[in-house]
Amino acid sequence: MISKSLIKATFKQNLIVMLIIIAALMLYLPIIVSMYNPDMQDSLNEVLELFPQQFLAALGFTAARHDLLGFVATYFYGFLILLLPMIFTITAANRTIASHVDKGSMAYLLSTPTKRSKIAITQALYLLVSISLIIGLVTVVGICVSQMLYPGELDIMGFIMLNLGALLLHYALTGLSFFASCTFNDSKNSLMLGAGLPVAFLLLQMLSDVGESTEFLKYFTIYTLFDPEKITSGEGYIISFLIMGIIAICLYFAGIMAFKKRDLPL
Amino acid sequence: MSVIEIRELTKDYGNHKGIFNLTFQVEEGEVFGYLGPNGAGKTTTIRHLMGFISPDKGSASILGMDCRRQSAAIMAHLGYLPAEIAFFDGMSGIDFLRFMAEMRGDSRTDLRDKLIDMFALDVRQRIRKMSKGMKQKLAIVSAFMHDPKVLLLDEPTSGLDPLMQKTFAELILEEKKKGKTILMSSHSFEEIERTCDRAGIIRQGNLVAIENIKDLKEKRRKTYLITFDSAEAAEEFKRNNSFDGIEISGATAKVSVTGNVAALVRILGRYNVLELDTESSSLEDVFMQYYGTAAAGDTDSGI
Repeated sequence: MISKSLIKATFKQNLIVMLIIIAALMLYLPIIVSMYNPDMQDSLNEVLELFPQQFLAALGFTAARHDLLGFVATYFYGFLILLLPMIFTITAANRTIASHVDKGSMAYLLSTPTKRSKIAITQALYLLVSISLIIGLVTVVGICVSQMLYPGELDIMGFIMLNLGALLLHYALTGLSFFASCTFNDSKNSLMLGAGLPVAFLLLQMLSDVGESTEFLKYFTIYTLFDPEKITSGEGYIISFLIMGIIAICLYFAGIMAFKKRDLPL
Repeated sequence: MSVIEIRELTKDYGNHKGIFNLTFQVEEGEVFGYLGPNGAGKTTTIRHLMGFISPDKGSASILGMDCRRQSAAIMAHLGYLPAEIAFFDGMSGIDFLRFMAEMRGDSRTDLRDKLIDMFALDVRQRIRKMSKGMKQKLAIVSAFMHDPKVLLLDEPTSGLDPLMQKTFAELILEEKKKGKTILMSSHSFEEIERTCDRAGIIRQGNLVAIENIKDLKEKRRKTYLITFDSAEAAEEFKRNNSFDGIEISGATAKVSVTGNVAALVRILGRYNVLELDTESSSLEDVFMQYYGTAAAGDTDSGI
């Protein structure tokens, strides 16, 4: 059901963006882990006190739990894990379908004995696999760095659940960008929805964290479904996981169907 | 059964754009020229044949398979040359050809290499750095290299220099000998004339004529520019001969002849002719010639 040559080509096409995003994540993650100090958490707090409270809240820097997991959940999973993979998603998803249609190279793909559904499924799989790879790498490196610097301090199960949540969130986000990529004829419109909406969601998320008066905004952003505090404290997060999973499945399915059915301006 | 069958194919984009009630067939082993000015609906027709778009009405089929629903199966036997050429970013010519072969599950390279030689294509070059003509050659190689039974070529010679256009014509004739079925669109009458058996003429989405190339040539009026050794000779030529609308400017006469030019050649034998040139007529001229202003202006008159 998938085309090996196409997935290889797509992988190569996006390799540089992927490496940059991975490098950025791999740079920040160990730095943040190493800033954790079990005895005097205050060293970071002292620095942070220099910033206005709302600014920190917008970045999700409001710790609920005071161990290594809580620390990482706050300073890495509050913002960076949302932003960086999203940049990859936006770029790669547009390239999967929309930019091929826009530039006309889709005509070549479709002039080979490859069904449209096979092309769409291959490209969808590419997105799912690469985002899994990115989050998977973060998980493994996060565990390794923590064990090296603070042996036994990390609640590994909790950390894995945290990453699973992030992964499901990014499945839903890639689904959204993929759907946009499948639906529109040109990169411009594909990006308007496929990049505009995730960015808008992120901004709303940041705003809703700032204070009570803007808290209602959390109902308008998908990022609300991924709540590091709830996950690390073990509160009921299963439902949000399910919802993110369902959103992802629906969007990918809708994208594949839309691409299969529509007229292409090639 | 015809290899390519188009029946009452209609796609209305509004504002008289699109194609309307097209019906024609291309038989096995035939080279069919699809002629029309820009925007007449040539590419729209080919898009239907490629299964990129669904018709409002009617149907298109290749080798007995529906072009929209069974496009992947058709593509196993088809070579396509798109009007606008775009590839993956960052690939070199050979990367692209290898990629296409992989996508087709075809590991043969002999024909590919022969075509690369034939068109003197530098395949090591990055596609992004290639000139328009280079890209066109690459697209030609890609369309022919898997030895498909059917070829759909959308303005295949645009961007090629005259020498390469000739090479391309040779390629088409060679493929015809192998029994390939070819549909090729063009807005150049000369190009179609050189290679095709039959031509369909489309204008504003309506098929206005399907003719054998031989018949077209016979009906066609050609304009010759004849330069005599003196203005007097040109005047005398005009006085003594009854060709339509001889125009004189200095020692040069402009004469239009329909079909057989033997009579003109015989008469010219009596003069000192310094130069004999043809004025190539545009498709629009040819069209006007055959179908007159009425048909040209009024698209609803149909065939």
